[in-house]
Amino acid sequence: MSTETLLIVAGILVSLVFIAAFYVYYLFSTRAEVLSRVAEDEGYSDRDAYVRDSLYGKPRPLSWSILFYDDAKSIGLRYIFTGMLFLFLAGAFGVLMRVSLTDPNPTILTPTIYNILLTQHATLMIYMFAIGMAMGFGYYILPSRLRLKRDNMGHLSSVAYWMWVLGGSLFVLSKSSMRWYLYPPLSLQLTPLGAGSYNWLAIIAMELVFMGMVMASVIILKIIFIDRADDIPLSRMPVFGWAIVFTLIMLVSSAPPLMVGLGMLFYDFFNPIFFVTATSTPLSFAVLFWFWGHPIVYIAVIPFFGLMYDIITRFSETKVYSYFSAVFSLGLLLILSELVWGHHLLNSGLGVDWVIFFTTMSFIVVIPSALTIFNMIATMWSAKKIRLTTPMLFVINAIFDFIIGGVMGVMLADEPINQAVHGTYFVTGHFHFIFVGLTLGISMATFYLLFPTFSNGRVYDERLARWHFYITAVGSFLMSFSWAVGGFLGMPRAVAGYFAMFQPYQDSAILGGVIIGIGQLVFLYNIATSWSKHPVTDPYNILEYRTETNQTLTSESNQMVGGGK
Amino acid sequence: MNKRQVEYLFIAAALVVLIASAAINLGYVLGHTQNIPQPSDNKAVPSNSTVIQVLGYQWAWQFTYANNTTSTDTLYVTAGHEYTLQVTSKDVIHDLLIPSLGIQIYAVPDHPNQVSFEPEKTGKYIFECVEYCGEDHYLMRGYMVVSS
Repeated sequence: MSTETLLIVAGILVSLVFIAAFYVYYLFSTRAEVLSRVAEDEGYSDRDAYVRDSLYGKPRPLSWSILFYDDAKSIGLRYIFTGMLFLFLAGAFGVLMRVSLTDPNPTILTPTIYNILLTQHATLMIYMFAIGMAMGFGYYILPSRLRLKRDNMGHLSSVAYWMWVLGGSLFVLSKSSMRWYLYPPLSLQLTPLGAGSYNWLAIIAMELVFMGMVMASVIILKIIFIDRADDIPLSRMPVFGWAIVFTLIMLVSSAPPLMVGLGMLFYDFFNPIFFVTATSTPLSFAVLFWFWGHPIVYIAVIPFFGLMYDIITRFSETKVYSYFSAVFSLGLLLILSELVWGHHLLNSGLGVDWVIFFTTMSFIVVIPSALTIFNMIATMWSAKKIRLTTPMLFVINAIFDFIIGGVMGVMLADEPINQAVHGTYFVTGHFHFIFVGLTLGISMATFYLLFPTFSNGRVYDERLARWHFYITAVGSFLMSFSWAVGGFLGMPRAVAGYFAMFQPYQDSAILGGVIIGIGQLVFLYNIATSWSKHPVTDPYNILEYRTETNQTLTSESNQMVGGGK
Repeated sequence: MNKRQVEYLFIAAALVVLIASAAINLGYVLGHTQNIPQPSDNKAVPSNSTVIQVLGYQWAWQFTYANNTTSTDTLYVTAGHEYTLQVTSKDVIHDLLIPSLGIQIYAVPDHPNQVSFEPEKTGKYIFECVEYCGEDHYLMRGYMVVSS
């Protein structure tokens, strides 16, 4: 594509973005005006106070009005359901990729389409699903848990949300095949054989996603630090609150390098001076990328640790075993996440000194992760009885999968093993154990817990929900484990075809992937049928409206300071 | 056991696993520096090893041997002899993995890396590109033939 065409298309695109943004702004300002009038009629001088009183004491079910109100709960619902939408889109891409690998040579999908699906699956799952769920639960659960004093900056939240959605949608439209790493010489090849003809659009889309995420993060941090009720000090905040705090600090502090990197990459389309000249190296982009790319995988996990603590304490009817070490280990993950990114580039020629530094730092990450898991197990251990409801099953499976995935992660931190298996399906198995078991599993668990609220008092079918759980758990284990074994023999990842010797591992992974897909269809069916029934229950849920006695994880920290029981 | 003791136990258990793994890793890395991929500009080739120039491009691997012969997508080596691969790329970033040797090295345009290895058993082994590099990334693979 010539530079002129590129400029023209980019110009049109930017104008479209501005028109869309203006339309969104228009919708909101009219809606806000209406709301102000209603607030005045009700006798409120302040619109935000009215929104808070009329929406916060009450649960917020799903309805079209969430698109027009910009209180935190509506924004949260938008994030949660958009995240779910993208989960099913990216999940379908994943299953398609699996199915096309039934033969060592590409069969159903051409390599071009396979590569596009590969890129979309990874990017959408991370930026749209995992981040969407983290933001969504943050916006949805925290305001009532922290009993906000006021709810303002809703317009900004809303703009951040729309930028994020626009970015995600444009990314799908861009049909990019640069993989989510965006390594330069490839991502600058605007051909169908390289990164896709419209890859420049993908880079704009990523930038939009980033701006949306960072804005939303700052607003949620403000909600937590400034707007929470005066009688909830930071030291007594629920673990989920802390998890969100650490996640978002991580996001805000490590997103800028890649945002800058994306800008430089876009400039390189016109005037390649940053990453592809004789005096520079494309690896400098890889460094910018992984400085963000490692924290992002923690961002996709830590909020769900927080939710796990909440769900475990609820169904074990006990407190978090050690509130202090729960928060401390999440905080340690925040710091360490910024120091281990080099382990994604161990074989790129970092040199022995850096290899030693990054592998050792990667081993140190074991401490906070292990503390978190031990803490969860100890919480369940110290409980008198545990109610094995569907969400609790998901949590137990998440712990199980996280231990396997985590041990595989420790193996990967070892340089000789890393050299042998980096870039193979072993890595894919490692993070799918964690992402399917933990990120997806806990999202589903939380979704089930919040379902009565979303649907205004309807209940899901417990039997189908259990089927969903068992099918997903078995499928994810089968898929990830086959990958782990195949990867150890050198089965490369991100390929549209493979050596025939890897057929058995691919076949069992295909089976697992299809089983996961079927499990999610059971979930869809369950939700659809349950939603069409009549409300039977109280729409209040335990995550949002815990009573003070339930929220006893709070007095934990004081005990710790006082020297234990 | 009271709460604090259990917590110490947590930390001790995690530390034992950690220190053992880190020590093994450190021992390997320090003892096998020539087997770690590193930039070939600041590292001399080990004295008794033969240099093979490797060029990755979309989408094949080209090997140039000491006697200036070349081969594409097949690497010929002799068992019991030490080799040093100097790997670079013509276009985008590639990554050469020889699973049976546990050798992996990035091919970065204009920035050659090097790594040494010594094949021990004769036979035919696979190698492949494991850094996604476009359309036919999956075809960027081949065989390493180890003769006696």
